[in-house]
Amino acid sequence: MERRTAIKIVALSALAPRLGTARAIAFDCPMPKATAWTPAAYKLQFFSEAENDLLDGLMEMIIPADSHSPGAHAAQVSRFADLMVATSDDTTQSHWRSGLALLREEARKSSLSDALAQAAAHSETPHSALGRFFVTLKQMTVNGYYTSEIGIHQDLEYVGNTYLAVFPGCDHPEHQ
Amino acid sequence: MAKELSEGGAKVILLEAGKHILPNELLTHKWPYELPYRGLRGEKQALYYQGDVQKSVRYEDSDGIEVDRIRVVGGRTVHWNAVTLRYAARDFREWSLNGIEDDWPLSYDELAPYYERIEAMIGVCGQDDGLEILPGGSHYLPPLPWRCSERILQRTLKPMGIAVIPVRKAVLTRPFDHRPACHYCGHCMDGCDVGAVFNSATAMIPKAQATGNFTLRQNALAREILVDREGRARAVSFVDTTTKKEETVKARIVAVCCATIESARLLLNSRSPQHPNGLANSSGVVGRYLHGHLGGGVQFYLEELESLKPANQDGATDHAFVPRYNHLSGKPDYVGGWDFQVNFSSYMYPRHATRIPGYGADFKARVRRMQTGYLMMGSFGKVVARPENRVTVDPNRQDAHGIPIAVVHFRFGDNDLALWRDTVKSIREIGGHLKGQMFLDSSQQPGGFASHEVGTVRMGSDPKKSALNGHCQAHEVKNLFVTDGSAFPTSSEKNPTLTIMALSLRAADYIKEQRRQGDL
Repeated sequence: MERRTAIKIVALSALAPRLGTARAIAFDCPMPKATAWTPAAYKLQFFSEAENDLLDGLMEMIIPADSHSPGAHAAQVSRFADLMVATSDDTTQSHWRSGLALLREEARKSSLSDALAQAAAHSETPHSALGRFFVTLKQMTVNGYYTSEIGIHQDLEYVGNTYLAVFPGCDHPEHQ
Repeated sequence: MAKELSEGGAKVILLEAGKHILPNELLTHKWPYELPYRGLRGEKQALYYQGDVQKSVRYEDSDGIEVDRIRVVGGRTVHWNAVTLRYAARDFREWSLNGIEDDWPLSYDELAPYYERIEAMIGVCGQDDGLEILPGGSHYLPPLPWRCSERILQRTLKPMGIAVIPVRKAVLTRPFDHRPACHYCGHCMDGCDVGAVFNSATAMIPKAQATGNFTLRQNALAREILVDREGRARAVSFVDTTTKKEETVKARIVAVCCATIESARLLLNSRSPQHPNGLANSSGVVGRYLHGHLGGGVQFYLEELESLKPANQDGATDHAFVPRYNHLSGKPDYVGGWDFQVNFSSYMYPRHATRIPGYGADFKARVRRMQTGYLMMGSFGKVVARPENRVTVDPNRQDAHGIPIAVVHFRFGDNDLALWRDTVKSIREIGGHLKGQMFLDSSQQPGGFASHEVGTVRMGSDPKKSALNGHCQAHEVKNLFVTDGSAFPTSSEKNPTLTIMALSLRAADYIKEQRRQGDL
């Protein structure tokens, strides 16, 4: 919907007769969802394909698809991570590269899921490289997923970023 | 100031180091996934931090503070949460009442008519709650309706003797002064594309332009204020940052309003034989007494709101407000207090997701379940103005235009840290009464200054201890006025902008009156 149209609706709704509760006359006009940055067309800038595959698998384990919504793989969070790391300083890049190598090494001893579980278990330990990397990995996964279309609209079902004529205040007796 | 003076018949030129951002340039309503870095690198607000302004500062021996280096037509008002609070009578009298700092050279009663005028001019929603600590006016637009979490907060704090009131902010809850009402998108801090949040670029500058007396000069970075033989301001030397051309504009009266760090920087860089320590600085106080707010954020996730069907909670960011309350129950062993702004951060991103342990399906479901229970509060506490906290300039390090940069030196003092400890204690008590989970951003050290830095060109009645009089006029340069937060001799827990605006209006009246009498 064009911004101008949305504003017009807001203006019209302000003149509308009051229909019971404020919630009933609040118009809800989502902003356009044109995607300027298209993950599908994205080419890796920092991670190798093998690193990206590993990262993609780890991120999907952190935020998996479930019956409610797709997970980090569908949201292409690893590609977002690639962009963020590719445009970060050398220290950050080296932390990512060595962190992924460490997890791959751990995974060889058992499995990727065991390696991730071990990293998570060490995340409260500041001296553990594996634990420190888990914190970084989880932060990136959370950032990438919950700023994606899937994370915002399908998982959290966020309904804001709209034009409202009236803000519906709380009139629930139990909250007063 | 520019609007008032040009409406009064003066020829006014406004030199603005930044440029004018048009509403269609704003990224206000962009979704994160429409931005390359998802907005996580400040893309939405980058428009306001033009040029090398953020690089032209250095912190030395400083605690964890950050000064806001915005550079745009309209200044901070294009990028603010618009909370507009009057100082209380006691806030002007720290020396008389508490034996610290100094009294202001004017009283609440002297400033009250200007508070009233500015509230009526810019459009402030809220109400007069009859509180001594937060005086009210009589021109409020209807208050913003409260969210469920704000009702629950009020219900919880009432038995603790803590008030929760409708926030007072310069957001239109009905059309006002040819500007439309708020559309409740929750993006006040990203720039309001319709002007429902007051900003001087949209609401004041067009009025100045309509007089025919006003010229806006964008991209004009002031280098130095030049003086005549008697040491009075005669002109401003500036560089056009787009053409790199050096220019000078003459003026009978110069009003400086570059925000606390830059105003001090400009005066300190304006050295002459008449003013060897910088303009209007024979007292040596220019740059000193830098202070601002201390505080931190706290996130609550309320059990009774968990797992609800998601509703649009964006609104106009904060709708409720918790005024200072520590003065109501005995006298603490420190001076000052704090207040809380409520729910001013976005509802889009789940802040708890990196703070709850684990990962996987349970983690994902838990993030989703908790998100609807979100309630946040940000504390804003008093910081004592101390001379050793200061802004200096470094002649050996210059910005891209050869102007010496500002150097910030700041340490929290004992009173500040005692106040912070009590703030955290109180937050924990509140958290104990709210059913749900609580995450404190920091409990060890406060942050500063929440973009509320003030104090570096302070007003006062003693020219040896202050640079300005109560009309924001320099004691020793009668045609120089400084009308931003740097004029504050002390500050309270309240956001400074409304007081800055009221002081500016008062200074404009004074200039007009002095001109009429031929004294200026």
